[in-house]
Amino acid sequence: MQRRCFHSESSFVCCVWLYVAGGAGLYCNRTWDGWLCWDDTPAGTVTWQNCPNYFPDFDSTEKATKICSESGQWFRHPDTNRTWSNYTLCNFHTTGKLKMAYILYYMAIVGHALSIASLLISLAIFFYFRNLSCQRITLHKNLFVSYVLNSALTLIYLIAVVNNPDVVGRNPVGCKVLHFFHMYMLGCNYFWMLCEGIYLHTLIVVAVFAEEQHLHWYYLLGWGFPLVPASIHAVARKKYFDDNCWMSVETHLLYVVHGPIMAALLVNLFFLLNIVRVLVTKLRDTHRAESNMYMKAVRATLILVPLLGIQFVIFPWRPENRLAGEVYDYIMHILMHYQGLLVATIFCFFNGEVQAALKRQWIQYKAQWGQRRRDHCSMRSTSYTATSITEVPAFMYHHDCNSEHLNGRHTSEDSELVALKTGETYA
Amino acid sequence: MALDCTSLTKLTLVLCVAACGFPPVSGCSDAYGRAIPPLSSCSDAYGRAISDFCVTKFTLDMKALDQSLWCSWSDTFQPYEELTNCTYSVAHKMHCFWPNQQIDELFIRLHRDYFHDCALTGRLLRDPPIRILGPFIGVPVLVTLLMTALVVWSGKCCQGIV
Repeated sequence: MQRRCFHSESSFVCCVWLYVAGGAGLYCNRTWDGWLCWDDTPAGTVTWQNCPNYFPDFDSTEKATKICSESGQWFRHPDTNRTWSNYTLCNFHTTGKLKMAYILYYMAIVGHALSIASLLISLAIFFYFRNLSCQRITLHKNLFVSYVLNSALTLIYLIAVVNNPDVVGRNPVGCKVLHFFHMYMLGCNYFWMLCEGIYLHTLIVVAVFAEEQHLHWYYLLGWGFPLVPASIHAVARKKYFDDNCWMSVETHLLYVVHGPIMAALLVNLFFLLNIVRVLVTKLRDTHRAESNMYMKAVRATLILVPLLGIQFVIFPWRPENRLAGEVYDYIMHILMHYQGLLVATIFCFFNGEVQAALKRQWIQYKAQWGQRRRDHCSMRSTSYTATSITEVPAFMYHHDCNSEHLNGRHTSEDSELVALKTGETYA
Repeated sequence: MALDCTSLTKLTLVLCVAACGFPPVSGCSDAYGRAIPPLSSCSDAYGRAISDFCVTKFTLDMKALDQSLWCSWSDTFQPYEELTNCTYSVAHKMHCFWPNQQIDELFIRLHRDYFHDCALTGRLLRDPPIRILGPFIGVPVLVTLLMTALVVWSGKCCQGIV
């Protein structure tokens, strides 16, 4: 019997425990069946425990069962007349689950790839059209860069570590370093969203007359501060839960990173709701134009923050039902891995000024190309177009950055803003 | 006669192993090379043999190991396996069945002495207790809130300053 004790740690522990004195009453004796240790079980009951993870196709969330008969003997299989434990459920659904795991994996890869593509396009747009530049766009650029880096790191992590069991088995230091940077970039994402919220809050509620804010503090909060939770997580993980490549999500130590992120999201939501409150109450009656203008600036951020945060709210509650669980997994994966695409779309592609700038550029390009064609066809006598650039109607502008220019200019329009300032400023 | 065989066997075994590790199994023979018929019962002789030879080494090994590591499989695996192999070899040489009642009693005694308070779940990774986990989570959250307040305050205080 002792030879069987050297399969693994669990068998060793079981063998150890088997020799400790037992209790009284009619029960099936504790036993080691070769794979798992079974406790003393009262006669006439069925005991269960989670399946072991010795084999690749065994799902350790499924249950293995063992029957203790009325006479105090373990169930014997009728064919072989030997004691038998039921491990059939452990690999029963495995092929289906494996298929779904692969689908989710490829979904995640596609999501991050699309995010990187759309974010790079947005960054290109922001850098190309210099007249769009203002402080808020600078914050957008930093946010996009952090999302690009996060998606890139996640892609590397998924392809090199998650899909690669031998790397996980070898447990090199590199994969833990990668995990650290992954946690850092995750923090950067959410803290840059917080910076956006704080900036809007400072602009609208706190310091309405600020010509230009100093962005140093925002850079510190967005790039520098996330090092703190990531480092604390690394230290705690190394000391208390040092599993292979730190892959396990079964630990509460992950809250060292997710806790500050949730705090940042809540604070952000609070700031944005406060902005809405100020805009609605202070400017509603007399300053409808400015109210609409500020509202448009806030709207994009206000849509994004709950969308980014909702995954943390519904994450703990995975339904037990198989079908509902699958739907839950799909929704969670979409929310988590397509965020970059969402951010790029809402902050850039749906931005009115960006759309206007792109339209202008397109019309200019078309006119130039048309002009070149006319020149090429040597028809210089008549001019077909009076103007080459069409004026874009003013109502298409969303005043994303214009609010800042308004703040800087000391014209008669400031009277409304003076009224706002002499009212309460949010403390 | 039986006693002579026993003591001779023991002496041969000890000398052999001391000289050359585990010699190849050849049966129970005395110092003169005469084959000795196998013992019909292996109770006393075998028990004494493994107690004097195998268990002594195991006890020394476990004493050399820090007591806090007794429940650690990776550390106790080596002496435990040596003990098992030793009892197996002795049984094989003495033509005894293996495992047998002496073995069971021996292991029950050893497990009670050394492993009685090992946790059933072994050394599976688990979270630290709440008094450690709490500060680890609470401190970053507090620092986050402080940092946010700092950034908001810096925006407020610098209004009007270009």
